[in-house]
Amino acid sequence: MAQVLVVDDSSTVRNEVCDFLKANGLTVVPAVDGKDGLDKLKANSSIKLVVSDVNMPNMDGLTMAEKIRGELKNSSVNIIMLTTENSPAMKERGKAAGIKGWIVKPFNGAAVIGSLKKLIA
Amino acid sequence: MSLRHRIVFLVALTFVAIAAIGGYSVIQSRKNASNVKTVTEGVVPSALASADLVALLKEVQLATMTLASAPDQTLAEEAREKLAAQKTQLKDGLDLQFKQATGQAQQGLIEQTRESLDNYFAAIDEMAQLKLAGQTDLAQAVLFASVAQYKREMEQVIDTLRIEKNRSKDEAITALNENLAGAVSALSMATVLAIVALGAAGTLLYRQIVRPVGTMQSLMTEIATSQDFTRRLPVERMDEIGQSTVAFNAMIEKIQESSEQLKQKTTDIQTMLQNIPQGILTIADGNKVHPEYSAYLETIFETRDIAGRDMMALVFADTNLGADALAQVEAAAGACIGEDCMNFEFNQHLLAGEVEKRMPDGRVKILDLNWSPITNDADTIVRLMLCVRDVTELRKLAAEANEKKQELEIIGEILAVSQEKFHDFIAGALKFIDENELILHQYPEQDAQAIAQLFRNMHTIKGNARTYGLQHLTNLVHEAEQTYDELRGAHPDIAWDQGLLLEELAGVRDAVERYARINEVSLGRKGPGRRGSVERYLMVDKEQIQQTIHRLETVNTGNLHELVAARDAVRKTLRLLGTEPLGKALAGILASLPSLAKELGKRPPMIRIEDHGYVLRNQISGVIKNVFMHLLRNSLDHGLESKEERLAQGKSKAGLIDLEMNVADGQLQIRLSDDGRGLALARIRKTAIQKGLIRADEHLGDEDIARLIFRPGFSTAEKVSEISGRGVGMDAVQDFVKREHGKIEIRFLDNAIGADFRRFETVVLLPESSALYVEGRETLYVYDLREMAKEAEASEADVAGSPVAGKPQLRVV
Repeated sequence: MAQVLVVDDSSTVRNEVCDFLKANGLTVVPAVDGKDGLDKLKANSSIKLVVSDVNMPNMDGLTMAEKIRGELKNSSVNIIMLTTENSPAMKERGKAAGIKGWIVKPFNGAAVIGSLKKLIA
Repeated sequence: MSLRHRIVFLVALTFVAIAAIGGYSVIQSRKNASNVKTVTEGVVPSALASADLVALLKEVQLATMTLASAPDQTLAEEAREKLAAQKTQLKDGLDLQFKQATGQAQQGLIEQTRESLDNYFAAIDEMAQLKLAGQTDLAQAVLFASVAQYKREMEQVIDTLRIEKNRSKDEAITALNENLAGAVSALSMATVLAIVALGAAGTLLYRQIVRPVGTMQSLMTEIATSQDFTRRLPVERMDEIGQSTVAFNAMIEKIQESSEQLKQKTTDIQTMLQNIPQGILTIADGNKVHPEYSAYLETIFETRDIAGRDMMALVFADTNLGADALAQVEAAAGACIGEDCMNFEFNQHLLAGEVEKRMPDGRVKILDLNWSPITNDADTIVRLMLCVRDVTELRKLAAEANEKKQELEIIGEILAVSQEKFHDFIAGALKFIDENELILHQYPEQDAQAIAQLFRNMHTIKGNARTYGLQHLTNLVHEAEQTYDELRGAHPDIAWDQGLLLEELAGVRDAVERYARINEVSLGRKGPGRRGSVERYLMVDKEQIQQTIHRLETVNTGNLHELVAARDAVRKTLRLLGTEPLGKALAGILASLPSLAKELGKRPPMIRIEDHGYVLRNQISGVIKNVFMHLLRNSLDHGLESKEERLAQGKSKAGLIDLEMNVADGQLQIRLSDDGRGLALARIRKTAIQKGLIRADEHLGDEDIARLIFRPGFSTAEKVSEISGRGVGMDAVQDFVKREHGKIEIRFLDNAIGADFRRFETVVLLPESSALYVEGRETLYVYDLREMAKEAEASEADVAGSPVAGKPQLRVV
């Protein structure tokens, strides 16, 4: 069963996203920052999708994405970024790290669930 | 000839040349081999053999010498035998030489040699016999004389033969050498010729292929670089190159076609962008507006500075979107462009769908925004397309339609209440509102008693409004009452705010006044009204109002056409309030005609009513009823004949009365005519004379006589009062009409001037404002009163309502 890694340092956002995904029948693995997320992904091969915040302490989302592709050599997991803004530089970095999409906050579950489910199908 | 054929031809030519040269060499070498064989096996050994003959001759000489000088008989015998053997040898040699002789000269020479040989050996034999006979000296003499002579002769002949043979050998070798040399030069020549011929053919072919291919290539390059697809390559030949050229031209034509189509499409899109009454723009990377956008966008944003602008500045500056919403739009757009198309689904909901934009001069435009992604083959969003519609007008219309809908609902509510009661309600409500306003002004701070009073008053208004089913008002009043109720409580959530409370009260007052206004203006029910008149207003078709309300409720507010259509429909309904069709106005009278006909012993007539789309205003319909009750009764009484009379005249059993309403020359005209006997001019004249209205000898035209019926006191009916006469004659009818600023006329429809009876019509003329034209309502109704009467009897229903309450049945002609 495919699982979803939800990475956000804000417990409010993290819980909201997790609750929504759970309510839609998905199994979620919460993580509090990039480092945590990386560790959890390393330990769990069922994770097929990562939904991550960008700005976080310890390790930000983009760095985590780069490490997933680089250190973990995991090229199959889909990575989606939760963001409030975007700059060309950020998008460039995201593209290099194989980021599938950007969800602009506030998180609107109904709008994104269809596409997210497709990503782990 | 095609290139393939040429190449095949060239190759075949090469084969032929090689084969010819090879064949020739084979023949030559064979010939040379036989020549060599002749030389080596014939001529040379023959020459050598001839030389052997010389040597043999020497041996013979030696043997002869031996014989001649042999010391004893035995040796002599031996020598003689040896000589015999040598003779045989020589003879054989000569035979061989003869065989191998070339030409008669050699043969002759050999013959001569044979002769010499015979002579030589004859001399030797003579010498040998002498020797054997012991005559050695004689033998010696013979030897030196004849033998030596024959020997010399022999030597000479043989030597000649040898020389001849050598010469013939040398000749043969020279000939052989010459032959060989000839063959070599011939072969060389043939080879050179073949090389030259093939080279020439090859070069020709090369030029025929390479040159046109080169030309084609350079022309193709030119067309490709110049993009001038109108150009074509000349087709000068029908070989493969020509066919390639034709194919290339066809390709160019295809390209030209598609490039023209592309051009056409581009032009179409440009034209569309220029003319579409909608703002269309696309947003590229960095949220920049692409230079190609629809011209109408300039109208919407009222600027020409659009291309390359920042989308956020162009579309969203001075709009009702807050900073956060703006940031979301910007981020959402940015998150889509250049990314996978799923990002559009992720963030679409953040892209604003409608904004209010303030223009530099202060006007506010409501803009409808429709976003869609433009993706490439890889499903990456390359641009966002934004369609901008100015829906300011549309929203206004929708609001207007909503307003009308409410108005209609309110009308429905009001109509359900009698005029008197409604008037009382409004007066009472306004009194309570005044009272509350006074209280609110008196109490800037909260006061329990004041609140109690406020609540009681509002509660009363609500109760009354609810009783009368004035739903819209009830809802609004309920809210005000709720506020007071809240303030009344022990721990109110809201504070006493004089300003807000006054504002709320003003809202209630507005609503009540709105009801009052609709009642007065739209329904014309100003004041408490009179008893009875209420009935008139109940004739407004509630169902129609319900239908119109339903239409407004279900209208697609996004569609301008539907909105306009709905608005027009509502307008029509509102206009139709306070009007009624002629047929409906006369319904009661029509219903009364069958019984009248029965009294008169006539068949109930057919009535045709053609209204040409006009309906009567309620104000006039009372007059119309009075006038036409009289005119219709007159028609039935005086005009239409009895069934028997009609049949005798070849008419239908039932009479026909025609009513036609129309507007002409700024006047409403209602014309009534029948197919009865016509206007009884003679009788009118007689009656008028009897009544002293005219003198017996007075000369009057038909029109003047007709006009007599409008004179006060004139009545043609023998029995006054029963039927037409209810004390009301045509003079009274004329009075009714005149009171409404109209007039009534008699017009003849035939040319029978001076006849006793003339066909005529009665025309009632009224001000145009008495009627209202309703588009698409033109109808022609035919009422068969006899059928109606029957049905009425059968169902005992009230005929009055049936033909006119929307169901003018019977035959519609």
